[in-house]
Amino acid sequence: MKADLIERLHHPRKGWAGGLRSGLNAAWARSATSLPSVVMLLVVVACNAFLQPDFFSADSLSSNLQNAAPVVLVCMAQAVVVLVGELDLSVGAGISLVNCVLAAVPALAGWGTGLTCLAALVAALAAGVCNGLLVGYFKQSALIATFATGAIWFGGALLLMPQPGGTVPQALGDWFAMRVGVLPLAAVPPLAAVLVWAVLQRHRFGRRLIATGSSADAVFKSGIDTRLIKLLAYVLAWLFVFGAAVCISAQTASGDARLGLPYTLNSVAAVVIGGISLAGGRGSMLGAICGALVLVLIGNVIYFAGIPSNYQEVFKGAVIVIALGFTFVSARRPV
Amino acid sequence: MKTTPGSRRLMLLALVVLVMIGGQLAVPGFTNLGQLGNQLKIATFLGLFGISQTLVMMAGNQGLDLSVGAAATLGGIVGAALIGSAPAGLLCAVIAAALCGAAIGGLNGFGITFFRVPPLVMTLAMGSLVDGGLIVWSSVMHVNTAASPALVALAGRSVAGVPTVALVWLVSGTLVWWFLDHSAWGRRLMATGANPTAALLTGTRVRVVRMAAYTASGMIAALTGLLLVGYVGQAFLALGTSYVLTSVVVAVIGGVSLGGGRGDYVAVAIAAVFLTVLTSLLTALQIGEAGRQCIFGATLLAFLVVNGWSLSGRVRPA
Repeated sequence: MKADLIERLHHPRKGWAGGLRSGLNAAWARSATSLPSVVMLLVVVACNAFLQPDFFSADSLSSNLQNAAPVVLVCMAQAVVVLVGELDLSVGAGISLVNCVLAAVPALAGWGTGLTCLAALVAALAAGVCNGLLVGYFKQSALIATFATGAIWFGGALLLMPQPGGTVPQALGDWFAMRVGVLPLAAVPPLAAVLVWAVLQRHRFGRRLIATGSSADAVFKSGIDTRLIKLLAYVLAWLFVFGAAVCISAQTASGDARLGLPYTLNSVAAVVIGGISLAGGRGSMLGAICGALVLVLIGNVIYFAGIPSNYQEVFKGAVIVIALGFTFVSARRPV
Repeated sequence: MKTTPGSRRLMLLALVVLVMIGGQLAVPGFTNLGQLGNQLKIATFLGLFGISQTLVMMAGNQGLDLSVGAAATLGGIVGAALIGSAPAGLLCAVIAAALCGAAIGGLNGFGITFFRVPPLVMTLAMGSLVDGGLIVWSSVMHVNTAASPALVALAGRSVAGVPTVALVWLVSGTLVWWFLDHSAWGRRLMATGANPTAALLTGTRVRVVRMAAYTASGMIAALTGLLLVGYVGQAFLALGTSYVLTSVVVAVIGGVSLGGGRGDYVAVAIAAVFLTVLTSLLTALQIGEAGRQCIFGATLLAFLVVNGWSLSGRVRPA
């Protein structure tokens, strides 16, 4: 059994029929954890559609997609890191950092849109590498290490942009608002992220990532460098963080060092709602995406139901507690 | 390199002295008596929240309490409201705040020990529920939020140059130190954190100990919140929010292991003083928030490395 597992880690695709069967089994096992979040999403969508008759119109859908794009991306980033068995409390500050780079660099260095985006991408990936090195190679507790680096990213963002202001390259905003048919271009970054994850999951890296999350010790002993897997997981996550920051910057069109901060805890909440185990290795990306959409749509529901916005925080807390209840119930079943 | 509790205390004390000397050289008057009293007051609150965090982190199982901010806000608001309306005054408010905090902490402990919810998630969800509930409550009910004169006196007065809150801290800190290092319950808490299975087999009721740790954490946070109202002069939403993560930081710098079972409150208390003095030095040097955040993060990382050395006996897979 163990030899078989190790064999599959190294050569995940052996024989298409067996591969398909084990793949389907694995997909079912993974999505079972996200079932509560799918149900929750359906309930929230139903409430929203009931309260807002034109919910399914092209305009409303595309504006919802624009709002959801960054949240989905940052929650996917958190999900990647949680699946590998770690945590990243610096994603929010990272969004701020990228946002401030996008808003400040054109004025400071006089760079064009392409170069500015490249600089922002480099900043995001460098942050990911830094977190990955600290957690993977230096074996620091992810909770504290990423909290510390988060303070540094936030400091960097403040350094670039002490006061909110600046201008994000116009091209980004134009592109973000564009629509091809019913599909707004804002949906492209999250879809691309989903595609990247879907491909990776079917290949060696994705398998190793999940395996590292479920038992780093066993994977390490079977000859896989878990340090590298963790580093790469952080880099992948920060690619998604970069996407999220670009989406937000395109919407706000200016820089603000405090812009990203609330996203950190929201991303953790979405991952929990999505049924991904914080111990790592259990859960599916589908759950994280549903969790993110639930968080976005709850705001809508509260607005259209005419409930004072004061109640938003309580609702969010209640949804997380309900999700925790689901997780508890499903964890009792033998796996 | 192996650091014992004693060497951790010495290192932190040396750092405090170093920062103070640096401050005196850079900004004359940095170490005068009035200034020191102020610093001690600020450090007191950090140190008191540090007690909460120390207790739950020692209990192990990735223990953490991110609801201390919400508990403090609740304690402060309820306490201030009661002082305003009930003639019983301070005592009544203290009891009410303690009960509120114990309720929050008890629920946390219940979810964590019996439902096996990770402490991070449980206390985060609890914090967000309580914070949200307070927002709703304060928009519906308008109660007294001003601190009563008795509370202000308790938090603001000085006895022979020593602020009274610092005396409160001294007493409670000594109690915590005695509890952790010299009482049977403290030993049980350490055993629970270090190796729950062994502790259970040797007759410690592990779940009860964990529940008690979280309940105490919530209670201490709520009482600190009430004290904070006296210091600030008014109860408001988000009263305790800024202490949530800084209290974790203080505990980590003080050498409490996130894995549980190791911790020394004296070092945590010195860490609270160190962090306060460092912050005020950076403010005095007129370093902007950007620089302060960066130095804060770098300090924390440096201490993580030190903790890594001192725990290097423990093997952890990558």
